[in-house]
Amino acid sequence: MKKRIVVIGGGPAGMQTALRLKARGMEPLIVEKEAETGGKLRGWHVLFPTFTPAGEVLAELRHRVREAGIETMTSAEVVSFTQHEVALADGRRLTADAVVLATGFTLFDARIKEEYGYGIYDNVVTSADIERMLDEGRVAKADGSRPKRIAFLHCVGSRDEKVCQQHCSRVCCITGVKQAIEMKRLFPEADVFNFYMDIRMFGPGYEELYREAQQRYNIHFVRGRISEASPTIDGGIQIKAEDTLTGRPLRMSVDLLVLLVGMRANDDNAALAAAAGLERAPSGFMAPRDPFLGNVRSNVGGIFYAGTVSAPKNIGETLNEAAAAADAAVDYLNA
Amino acid sequence: MKRNSWQDYQKQIADDRYYYGRSCIRQNFFPGSEKAFLDILRNDLGKELLDDPKHSSCTGIGYHSDIVPLETIMTVVARQFSLMNESGYENFVTSCITSFGVYTEMLATWHEFPETEERTRENLYKATGREFRKPASLAHTSDVMFHFRNEIAARAKQRLVDAATGEPLKVVEHIGCHYAKIFPKSGIGGSEFPYVLAGMIEAWGGECVDYPERRHCCGFGFRNYLVQANRGYSIANSHKKLESMAPYKPDFIVANCPGCAMFLDKWQYAIAEMEGTTYGANGHGIPVLTYEEMAGLVLGYDPWALGMQMHQVDVEPLLDKMGIEYDPAAKYLGRNGKYIGKPASAVVNCCATDTVYDMRE
Amino acid sequence: MGKYFDMLMEDVRMREGLNSCMNCGVCTGVCPAAEFYSYDPRQIVSIVQTRDDEAIEELMRSDAIWYCGECMSCRPRCPRGNTPGYVIQALRTLSQKLGFFVESEKGRQQLALKRIIGDNILRTGYCIVPRLVKPELHPEQGTVWQWIYDNDKEIFGRFSPVYMRPGAGALRRLDEETLGEIDRIFEVSGGRAMFDTIERHSDRKAREMGYAEGADQQYMMDVFTRNSNEHYE
Repeated sequence: MKKRIVVIGGGPAGMQTALRLKARGMEPLIVEKEAETGGKLRGWHVLFPTFTPAGEVLAELRHRVREAGIETMTSAEVVSFTQHEVALADGRRLTADAVVLATGFTLFDARIKEEYGYGIYDNVVTSADIERMLDEGRVAKADGSRPKRIAFLHCVGSRDEKVCQQHCSRVCCITGVKQAIEMKRLFPEADVFNFYMDIRMFGPGYEELYREAQQRYNIHFVRGRISEASPTIDGGIQIKAEDTLTGRPLRMSVDLLVLLVGMRANDDNAALAAAAGLERAPSGFMAPRDPFLGNVRSNVGGIFYAGTVSAPKNIGETLNEAAAAADAAVDYLNA
Repeated sequence: MKRNSWQDYQKQIADDRYYYGRSCIRQNFFPGSEKAFLDILRNDLGKELLDDPKHSSCTGIGYHSDIVPLETIMTVVARQFSLMNESGYENFVTSCITSFGVYTEMLATWHEFPETEERTRENLYKATGREFRKPASLAHTSDVMFHFRNEIAARAKQRLVDAATGEPLKVVEHIGCHYAKIFPKSGIGGSEFPYVLAGMIEAWGGECVDYPERRHCCGFGFRNYLVQANRGYSIANSHKKLESMAPYKPDFIVANCPGCAMFLDKWQYAIAEMEGTTYGANGHGIPVLTYEEMAGLVLGYDPWALGMQMHQVDVEPLLDKMGIEYDPAAKYLGRNGKYIGKPASAVVNCCATDTVYDMRE
Repeated sequence: MGKYFDMLMEDVRMREGLNSCMNCGVCTGVCPAAEFYSYDPRQIVSIVQTRDDEAIEELMRSDAIWYCGECMSCRPRCPRGNTPGYVIQALRTLSQKLGFFVESEKGRQQLALKRIIGDNILRTGYCIVPRLVKPELHPEQGTVWQWIYDNDKEIFGRFSPVYMRPGAGALRRLDEETLGEIDRIFEVSGGRAMFDTIERHSDRKAREMGYAEGADQQYMMDVFTRNSNEHYE
C-alpha cells in the first residue's frame, strides 16, 4: 500500500513537494487553508530577476498537480498535527505516515511601523500593494495622477528589534530593485529612490539587475533608513533619513513611498510547533534539525519542512527545497 | 487628521486623589495654567489633589543639561515619592513633561537595574532619613485632563469652533518630546500618533491638523536654549515647525509641555522681530495655548484669569473667533485690578497696546 | 584598549543605550541637532562601539558630544534598540569627571549651566525662577516678558498667594528644611562633587586661557555668550 504523506500548505513549496512525492510513488495529500492553491504567488505580478509573470509559474505548477492527479483539499485549515494525524479546524482528522509542513510565511503588517503612516497616509503603500496595482494595470497616486518621485524603503519589518523582527527577509532588496525598474518603465520621467542599509544581491542575476537599475534606469540608491514619513499639504509624503555616505540628514517630498515589507513567521507556528513537539528559531520560523545536513528535516521524525516555513527564501530556493523535503520524507519512510 | 486606533497605547490613570508635582517652567511662564488645572480638578470636577509645600523641582533641567548626575536626580525623585507616601497619596501627577520623562525613566531604570534603586534608597536615607514606596500610578497632568475630557465636554460653555460658521477650529497639537518618545508605552496613543491632546481637541469640537514636522522637537534642547550662544539651535527648530504648519492656517497651537508652549510663542516674536516673518492670520502670530488654557476656555474661565495676557502672541483673535466675551481693558491689570502699565507692542502682536484702555489717562 | 569604554559602561544609560549599531542613520535622520549643527549621532555611536580609547578620548574633548539637545527623538526609532541620546549623556558625564569638557567651546559651557541652573537648584529648590530669566540675557523673551519681569509681584500675585513666600502654591519660597534635604541629597549622591569638578576644571582652563582670576564672572559670561560659528557645515 502506498504511503500517505500530508503536505500542509498548497503554495509553491507544497505543490512542488507533492509533485515529487507522487513521482517517487507516494500518495501525497495537499491541505490548503485558502479556497485555492498558490499561496503568496497568487498576489504577485512578475518575479525577480527575470520579470517572469508569477501567473505563468503558478499555472504550470497547478497544471502539473492536476495532471499528476494529486489529491488537494482547499478551505481546510490545520489546527494541529503529529507525524500520524492532522487535525482540521472543522474537526476532521486525517491519518498520515509522514507530514511535510509547507505553510510559508506572513507578510509583515506595515501598520506596525507607525512612523511610516501606512494605512493612514494614502500615498504610503507596500511592495505587495505595488504587485497588486501592477496586476490590475493601474499604478498611480491615490488621486489617480502619475507619481513624479517615488521612494522605496528597504527593511520594513526586517532587521528591526523594535518590531521583534531581527532577521533579514532577504528577498526585499531584489524586490525593491525590480519594482523600481517597473516604476521607471511606467514613469520614465519620475525620480526613483531606493533607501537601503545593505543591498543583498544573493541570487543569480540579482547583482546584474541592480547594476542595470543604476546604469540603464538611473535609479538612485541612498544608503540610509528612512526615519519617518509625514503628509505634505499637497497630498505627498515627506520623508526624513540620513544619507550615511555623506553623513548628512536629508528630507524630501515624494509622491509615493513604497515600503518593502519583510517576511514574518506565521503566528500559528507557535501552536503547531507546541502540538507536534517542534522547535522554532528565535525569529519564530521553524528550526530545521541541522542547518547543513538536515535542513528539510525537523527535530521530530516523520515531520519535514519545505519552503519559507523555516526561513525567508525566494521561489527558486523554495522549489528546490520542496523536492529535497519530499526526498527526505521518502527516504525516511523507506528506511 | 487621520490616525489608526490610539487604543493600543493606554495606561492606567487614577480617578481621584492626586499628589501634584509642580513644574519649574509651568509656574514661571504659565502660573495661570497651573492654577486653572488645580481649579478645574478641584472645583469643576470635585477631585482631591495635594499641593505639598515641601515638594521641590525634580532637577530635570539640570539632569538634561548634564550637570546633575543620574544618582542625584534619582534621589531627588525618591524624595518626592517619600513626600507623597508621607501625605497618604499614591497617584503621582506631574505638570512638567521633562519631569514626567524623568519619573518614568527613573522607575524604568530601577526596574531594569535594581542595584540603582538600592543605591537610591541608601542615598535618600543617608541624606534625609527618609524611605519611599513607588507610586501606584504616574501620569502627566495632560493625561488627567484627557481622562476627564468627556466630563469637561459635558460642562462646556464654549466649544472649539468658529462661532460665526460653526466650523471646527483647526488646531496644531504639539506633544513634548519626553512625553512618549523615551517610553512610547507611557503616552496615550504612543509616540507616533499621541492622542492625549487630540482626544481633548476632538471631544471639545476642534479638529487636529497633521503637518510634515508634527513630531519635530520645539527646539528647547536644554543647553541649546539655556546657554545664550546656542540659541540658534532653538529658534531654528521652532522656525522649522512654524514654517511647516503655517500653510495649514491653524487657529492655534496647543502643547502639553510648558516649555514647548513658551518656545513656540516666544520664538514667533523673535522671528518676527528679526525677519518680519509672521505665521498667523492677518500678519500676526499663531496663538499658542497650554491645554489647561484650552480646557479653561471651554469651561468658560476668563482668559485673563487663565493668564493668557502672559503670552507674547495675542490670543484675542482666537477669543473673538470662538465668540468668547472678555474685557480688553482688563488684560494688563495686576492684583486687585491695579493698573501696572503695558508691554511694548511688537511685530507679532495684533492688538496694539495703545488702544487698550489706560487707567492713568 | 577599551579603558574608556569600560568606564562608560559603568553608567547604566550606556548599558541601556548601546547594544550595537548597524549605521542605518535613522537617529540622524530625525535629529534636530544634526539638522542644525555639523553633527551626526550615528557616528558618535559608531565611534564608541569601536572601544578605541584614543577615538573616545578625542570625542570627549570635542564639541561633538555637546550638540545633542537630549530630546530623545532617536530612542523610539532605532531598529537595534540603541539610544544615542543616552550614549551622549554617558559621554558628557565622563567627559566632565575626567576634565575633558573644558577642551571644547561647547563643553566649557557646562560652567554656565552649573552656575545658572545648578546653583539655582540649591538656592531655591527649582531649576528656574522668574528672577533668573533676566530680560537683558533673554531678549527673545519679548516685550511681554519684560512687562512681567518689571511687574512680577503684581502679575504672579494674580495666580499665586505665595509668590516668593513660604506656603503652598506656585512660585513659593521653599522652606529651609526642604532646601537642607536637597542640599544633603546633592552632597551624598555626587551632585555636589559634580558641581565642584566643573568649577575646578573650569578654573584651571580659565587660567590656561589667560583669565588671571580663573573661572570668574567674566569667564562665565564669555563661555555663556561666545559662539565661534565653527559648528555648522
